[in-house]
Amino acid sequence: MRDRDVAVLGVGMYRFGMWSDVSNATMGREAGMLALRDAGLSFRDVQAAYVGDIFGPVMSGVRVMKEFGLTGIPVQRIENASATGSAALREACLAVAAGHYDVVMVLGFDKMTAMIQHATPGTARENMEDAILPAAFFAMWATRRMHERGTKAEHLARIAAKNFNNGALNPMSQRQPSSPVTVEKVLGSRMVAWPLTTMMSCPIGDGAACAIVGRAELAKKLRPDRPLVRVVASDLQSERYAPGHLFMGPVVGPAQMSIDTSKVAYAQAGLGPDDLDLVQVHDAFAIEELEYYELLGLCKTGEAEACIERGDFELGGRVPVSTDGGLIARGHPGGPTGLAQIWETTLQLRGEAGKRQVDGARVGLCHMMGGGSVCVIHILQRD
Amino acid sequence: MMTQATRQRVPIKAGYFTVPDDPAAAPRFLATRCESCGEHFFPRRAICARCLSEHTTDVELEGRGTLYSYTFVHFPLFGSMNVEHMDGYGVGQVDLPEGPRVQAPLAGKQMDFRIGQALVAELDTLREEAGCDIVLVRFRPVEVTR
Repeated sequence: MRDRDVAVLGVGMYRFGMWSDVSNATMGREAGMLALRDAGLSFRDVQAAYVGDIFGPVMSGVRVMKEFGLTGIPVQRIENASATGSAALREACLAVAAGHYDVVMVLGFDKMTAMIQHATPGTARENMEDAILPAAFFAMWATRRMHERGTKAEHLARIAAKNFNNGALNPMSQRQPSSPVTVEKVLGSRMVAWPLTTMMSCPIGDGAACAIVGRAELAKKLRPDRPLVRVVASDLQSERYAPGHLFMGPVVGPAQMSIDTSKVAYAQAGLGPDDLDLVQVHDAFAIEELEYYELLGLCKTGEAEACIERGDFELGGRVPVSTDGGLIARGHPGGPTGLAQIWETTLQLRGEAGKRQVDGARVGLCHMMGGGSVCVIHILQRD
Repeated sequence: MMTQATRQRVPIKAGYFTVPDDPAAAPRFLATRCESCGEHFFPRRAICARCLSEHTTDVELEGRGTLYSYTFVHFPLFGSMNVEHMDGYGVGQVDLPEGPRVQAPLAGKQMDFRIGQALVAELDTLREEAGCDIVLVRFRPVEVTR
């Protein structure tokens, strides 16, 4: 990342939710205009765009970008399942670091409500893989962890309750409980795939998120009034074969992929897990967040349960995780999800995160998994 | 039961498992063996994922294995009209003796499953279509009788 320093110039979001009557074009435009205003830029200044969406039709990237005006810039659509927005951000950072552009827009959007409407089970011949829902795949992580480490459903419920309660402090969160969510409430919600309940699982939703990235010197000139947030690490890895590898189903992993990606990211940044002030992870299901504590080095192997019991990863704890509510509460439409992590981390590092502010936050890590699968990690650091 | 057994059984997707003529016989998995490093893969592939050799051979692996992990899904099985699947279904990750780990539905209820137990594959009917039974491979704990 160090050929030319890359900074987050601006961020914007269209709140995640069930917006079946709002188009990708509208959500994308609003998130993008917020990010441009936040950066102190106009679309005239944007030299390239990387667009991430999973479920849109052919041409959706370049079509939504027309909302901002037709200036002839290169527009590239990127898809990498849940890690779509993170993968698009990485391409933008690489392009700026390589000196191709000074200002790049990264825009993610998706409409899962539209995808659900179009799914018609039984009308076409299904795949072998359709019986394995993502919830089942991750439930089997939980069953295995319980077998090996004695993990209890209460540990998973505590993670989910934390994320709901963080979401209540985030105006852009899809789920905003009006009263504190308890472990008992999470455990009592509907069972999806044992031991995972609905409240241990992310919701479906629609939304958009945008980050403007560019040369770090530019950020100092544009907004000298606030801290500069640099992208100090960006890595993406796909699967490496090992015995027991799963080739079919909605697979993310193997676990080693998060370990390997984080090691490269820490080396790029010249930082380690002890330097992190806050972390966002791919908590589509609570068991994932538990595993990532260990895989990212936030605690030692086998100690996640004890750390959860101590509240290490809660706001005010040793290293808060999913401070904006995570996928479980803030939501997970797909394309914009990884950029919502950048939105949250940027605000936190500027000290603009309101009631969920992590005191004195200087370094934040954003981890995403994309089915298939890939792992993407970015580390942001405030000057 | 006679009509069940005599109706033609069609895989939900070709290329993954066999449909034996004998309804009591376990289906076999259509797999690949790497002739360079000996690794086995399911489903089939042309190039070895481990050593990148192109010297691979199609093999059939017996439908039996060991349960690595499991869950019980509280939703109807996608594409099934079988009443048995309406309240949900088990799902397992199953290690075949030759190495591949396979994800498939499990026969039985939550309490029937435990990690490390021996399983045997069978064909499960999802629905009837054009006079044929549409079947999917699943595993049954050896101690759980039909």
